[in-house]
Amino acid sequence: MITWIRGKISRLPPASIRLRLAVFHSTLLFGVAAVVVGVIYQNVSRVLNDEPISRSPVLVELVGPADTNELGSEDRLGFRGFEQEINRRALSQLRVYSVVALAVLFLASLAIGWYVSGLLARPIGQIAAVARKIQATDLSRRISLGGPLDEFRELADTFDDMLDRLDTAFEVQKNFIQEASHELRNPLAVMRTNLDVVMEDPGAEIQDFRSAGEVARRAASRMSVLVEDLLLYAYHERPNLERDPINLAVIVEETVTDFRAAAESEGIEFVTDIAERLPVIGDSAALRRGLVNLLSNAIRVSVPHSCVMVTAGHDDEKVWLSVRDEGPGIAPAEVDQVFQRFWRGDLASARGEGRSGLGLAIVRQIAEGHGGRVTLRSAVGSGSTFTIWLPRYVDHGE
Amino acid sequence: MRILVVDDEPDFVDAVARGLRLEGYAVDTANNGDEALDKATYTPYDLICLDLTMPGRDGLELCDSLRIGILDYPPPRILMLTARGTLSDRILGLDAGADDYLVKPFSLDELHARIRSLLRRDAGRSGAVLHVGGLLLDTARHRVEVEGLEIHLSPKEFSLLHYFLTRPTVVVSQEELLEHVWDENADPFTHTVRVTVGTLRRKLLASGAVDTIDTIVGKGYRFLPGGGVR
Repeated sequence: MITWIRGKISRLPPASIRLRLAVFHSTLLFGVAAVVVGVIYQNVSRVLNDEPISRSPVLVELVGPADTNELGSEDRLGFRGFEQEINRRALSQLRVYSVVALAVLFLASLAIGWYVSGLLARPIGQIAAVARKIQATDLSRRISLGGPLDEFRELADTFDDMLDRLDTAFEVQKNFIQEASHELRNPLAVMRTNLDVVMEDPGAEIQDFRSAGEVARRAASRMSVLVEDLLLYAYHERPNLERDPINLAVIVEETVTDFRAAAESEGIEFVTDIAERLPVIGDSAALRRGLVNLLSNAIRVSVPHSCVMVTAGHDDEKVWLSVRDEGPGIAPAEVDQVFQRFWRGDLASARGEGRSGLGLAIVRQIAEGHGGRVTLRSAVGSGSTFTIWLPRYVDHGE
Repeated sequence: MRILVVDDEPDFVDAVARGLRLEGYAVDTANNGDEALDKATYTPYDLICLDLTMPGRDGLELCDSLRIGILDYPPPRILMLTARGTLSDRILGLDAGADDYLVKPFSLDELHARIRSLLRRDAGRSGAVLHVGGLLLDTARHRVEVEGLEIHLSPKEFSLLHYFLTRPTVVVSQEELLEHVWDENADPFTHTVRVTVGTLRRKLLASGAVDTIDTIVGKGYRFLPGGGVR
C-alpha cells in the first residue's frame, strides 16, 4: 500500500514544481495586496483623524463659527465625541473588510496559481512520461507534442530530433556489431571444428594435430587482421579530432618511399607526380593510414612488371591525391559497393589472403572525416583509379 | 547415411567432413552452391549441411531449388550451418526450407546430435536407440549389443547395420547401399559392399545373434529380425 502510494506520488514529478509555483505566485500576490490594503487603511484613518467634520467648513456654515454660534461648547464637545465614534466604527469596519478581502484574495490566488502552474507543468509531465518509457534498446517512441508553436513545443521537438539522431546512431552501431560478429564467427568456426575433430579422433596421428594447428593458426591470423581493422574502423567512425595544418605532399612522399622497396621486390614500379605544397587541415596519422590502405590495395591487385601511379595536386578549393593501378579493374555494378564495409571482390581469395574487407571503408571514413570524399574510376581490364579529395587549406597569414 | 557438406570455406568443410566420417557417415563436400546442386541432383543424399552465405548461388537459393521438386527422389533433410545468428536470419533460413539451424561456431557433439535427430525423422522413430529383433543399436553412443552383449563394429559396418535396422525385411539393392552408406570416393566396381556385408554377417553370427542378413541373388540384401522364415 505504502509503495503503491509512493509510486503514485513519484509518478507526479511536476507536482512539486507546480506546488512551488502556486505558493510563490499566491504569496507574491498576497504580499502586494496586503501592502495596497495597508496603505489604503493608513490613508483613510489619517484623513479621518486630521480633518474632523466638526471643523469642516460645511459644519461651520451649517451651525456658524465656534465663537459666535449659539451652540455651546458642551454641544460642540458632544458632537466631537459622536464624530469620533463614527470614525472608529468606520475604521473597524474597514479593518474587517480588508482582512476578509485579503483572506479571499489569498485563497483565490492560491487556486489560480495552482491552476495556471498546472497548465504550464502539463507539457513537462508529458515529455517526462515519454522520456521515462524510452529504453536504450527501443528508441522508436516520440513525444509528438501538439498545440501551438510555443516554447514547450520547441522543447519537445528538439527532444524528438535528438531521439531521431540517437535512433539512427544506435541502428548503425547495431548493424555494425552484427556484421562484425558474423565476420568473426567464420574463422572461429574453422578453428573450433578443426580442433574438435582432431581431439575426438582416437586414431589421430601427430600429422593430423599438426595440420589442425596450421589451420587454427591461419584462422587466428585472419581474426587478428580483422580485429585490428575493426578497431581502426570504430576509431575513425567519429569525426576527426586532430586539426593541424599539414602538407599532404610530405606525407605522400614519405609513405610512397616506405612502400617502394616492398613493391619493387614484387616487380611493381611506383611512378609519382606530386606537387610541392598541398596544404590541408587534418590528422596526419589518419591520412597516412588512408594512403597506406590505397597503396596496399594497388600492390595487391597489380601483376608483376606493371606500375602504380601516385599523383597529387590541387586547384583553388581542393587538394587531390590519386592512386592508379593496372590491375584487373572493377565491374561498373560493383563500383558503388567497394567502399562498403566487408566488401571483398573475390571472397575466397580474400579469405586466403587474410583480408578484412574494411580497408577501403576506412579510406572513405578518413576522407569524409576530413570534410572530403573518395572516388573510384575503373573499368574491367584497364585498372582502377582511387582519388581522395580534401578541402584545400588557405593560410591567410601568408 | 550419406551427407553433403557445403561451405565456401575449405578448411571448415574438410573439418566437418572428417568429423562426420568419424561417426561412420558417408560424406561428400562442395565448395559453392552450384557444385552442391550438381551433386544433389544425381545423388540421393539423406542430409545436406548447408552454409547460408556463399558467393554465387547461396544457401537460401539452393534450399529453394531442392524443395521445388527438381529431384527424382525425396528431397534431403537440410541443416543450415551459418555464422548469421540473428532471430530474423534463423526465421528466414527455416522458412526457406531448412529442417534445422545451427549457428557457427558450434560444438562437434551438438552437430552430431542434431544430425542424429534429423535422420531419425526419416526412419519414423523417435529414440536414439534402435531395438530390432535381438539387436540394440545406440546411435548416440555408437554401440551395438546382441542380447545384452556389446559387439565391436567398424564405422562402416555400424552405418551399414544402422541402414538395415531402419528397413527390416525390405530388400535393399547394392546400388542403394553405395548411395547411402558409401561416399563419392567409393569405386562402384569393387566388391566393397559385398565384403562389408560379409564381415558384418560374420560378426553377427559369431556373437550368437539370431538375426540374419540374407543375400537375394540379383536383387540385393535383406535384414531379417529373428532369422525370419527361410
